[in-house]
Amino acid sequence: MTCAEFKEMFELYSLGLLESDERDEIEEHLAGGCAECQSNFKSAMAVNALLMSTVTHANPPSRLKRRVLAGFGIERSGWGWLGLLAAAGMLVLALWLSVQERERSAELVNARRQIIQITSERDQLQQAFTFFGQPDTIQVNFGQGEPKPPRGNVLVNSRLGVLLIASNLPTLQPGKTFEMWVIPKGGSPRPAGIFPADAQGTAVHMLSGPIDPQGLGAVAVSIEPEAGSRTPTTVIFAAPVPGA
Amino acid sequence: MSLWRIILAGLAYSVLQVALRFKDDDDLVLRLKARDPQVMSKLYDRYGRLVYSIIFRVVRDAASAEDLVQETFLRIWNRAQSFDQQRGALGPWILTVARNRAIDHLRSLDGRMAAGALELDRIENPALFCNFEDRALTLDRARRIKEAFQKLAPHQKEVIELAYYQGLSQTEMAERLKQPLGTVKTWVRTALQVLREELSGAAVA
Repeated sequence: MTCAEFKEMFELYSLGLLESDERDEIEEHLAGGCAECQSNFKSAMAVNALLMSTVTHANPPSRLKRRVLAGFGIERSGWGWLGLLAAAGMLVLALWLSVQERERSAELVNARRQIIQITSERDQLQQAFTFFGQPDTIQVNFGQGEPKPPRGNVLVNSRLGVLLIASNLPTLQPGKTFEMWVIPKGGSPRPAGIFPADAQGTAVHMLSGPIDPQGLGAVAVSIEPEAGSRTPTTVIFAAPVPGA
Repeated sequence: MSLWRIILAGLAYSVLQVALRFKDDDDLVLRLKARDPQVMSKLYDRYGRLVYSIIFRVVRDAASAEDLVQETFLRIWNRAQSFDQQRGALGPWILTVARNRAIDHLRSLDGRMAAGALELDRIENPALFCNFEDRALTLDRARRIKEAFQKLAPHQKEVIELAYYQGLSQTEMAERLKQPLGTVKTWVRTALQVLREELSGAAVA
């Protein structure tokens, strides 16, 4: 074949489409160093590359890049994100369960406090009814006629003890509490227990146990540190008990 | 020209732009030869879509095309050592490897294996992709060859398609088209001559 005839075949040769005898003849000629055919051969390869580069556009799936690169160990495979997502999901679930557990615990504590408070209030009401129902109970009113004083009743029963029902108690500073005192005639005040008041300044407090109404001079309430005191510090009222 | 054709032309143009940035490939080749795996990400970004397009055009099956794209990039990685970074044209080599992997797959399905696989292996030798002139692979030339292809007669287009995207020899084309071998050879020769002359004209212009 001549160089002109070879020129007609270089595209097919570089696509691997020639018959074996034609291919062998071309390779033998190229190996001989023909400059014109070397140049034509490169031109044919350029034609092939250019023609292939004009192929109709197709979009590879985005996962294909991950897959190809995973083969070279430089990017996670397509399922890597799933593991991360699962781990993140588990973390979120654990956090959510933890928050739920805390909320449930807090609700439980609040519920228990409410039950204790309601039970305590019920017991106090029962005690008050019991005090009121006894014919030998001495009742003392205090704070009547004052502009904005603590007001209420002190009930004294020789068998049941002393019951204080007060309202208009002052608002306490943090770290302070109310404390009741029983003051014997001619004696020093004796502590009769600390107690809180509600937001409206109302409180019910009882000193249980036998007491001698004849020897009782007064019942007082003071403001004390949270743990209580052995002697009254700031007395807010004292109700004299007239005796039986 | 309808809007749809304008969009298609735009897409094809973007593929061409990706394909023909051959002169920027020197750094990629250096890193490829230095066995830097990170370069495969850049190589995929530059040629992945075109490689997939060529392979999909041949095999017409997305799952097979994905396998063959992976095989193509693995082959590039494994054979890059014998690539001449000074004189080699990386783009044409990658496109040839992609096309050959797809044709090889097609032949294995058709039972046309035998010497064909060896033949494809020989023509994608990196050493063959040296000494391309800078002006040989320009965007303008790609556009012109595409236009020239569109102007070919239907039977000429068909034989070019059968050669490039079906991997059929002229004898196989004659059998497929039920035409005399001489006729098929004439169609092929004429079609390639038109494409070649179009490029020569572009070079002159």
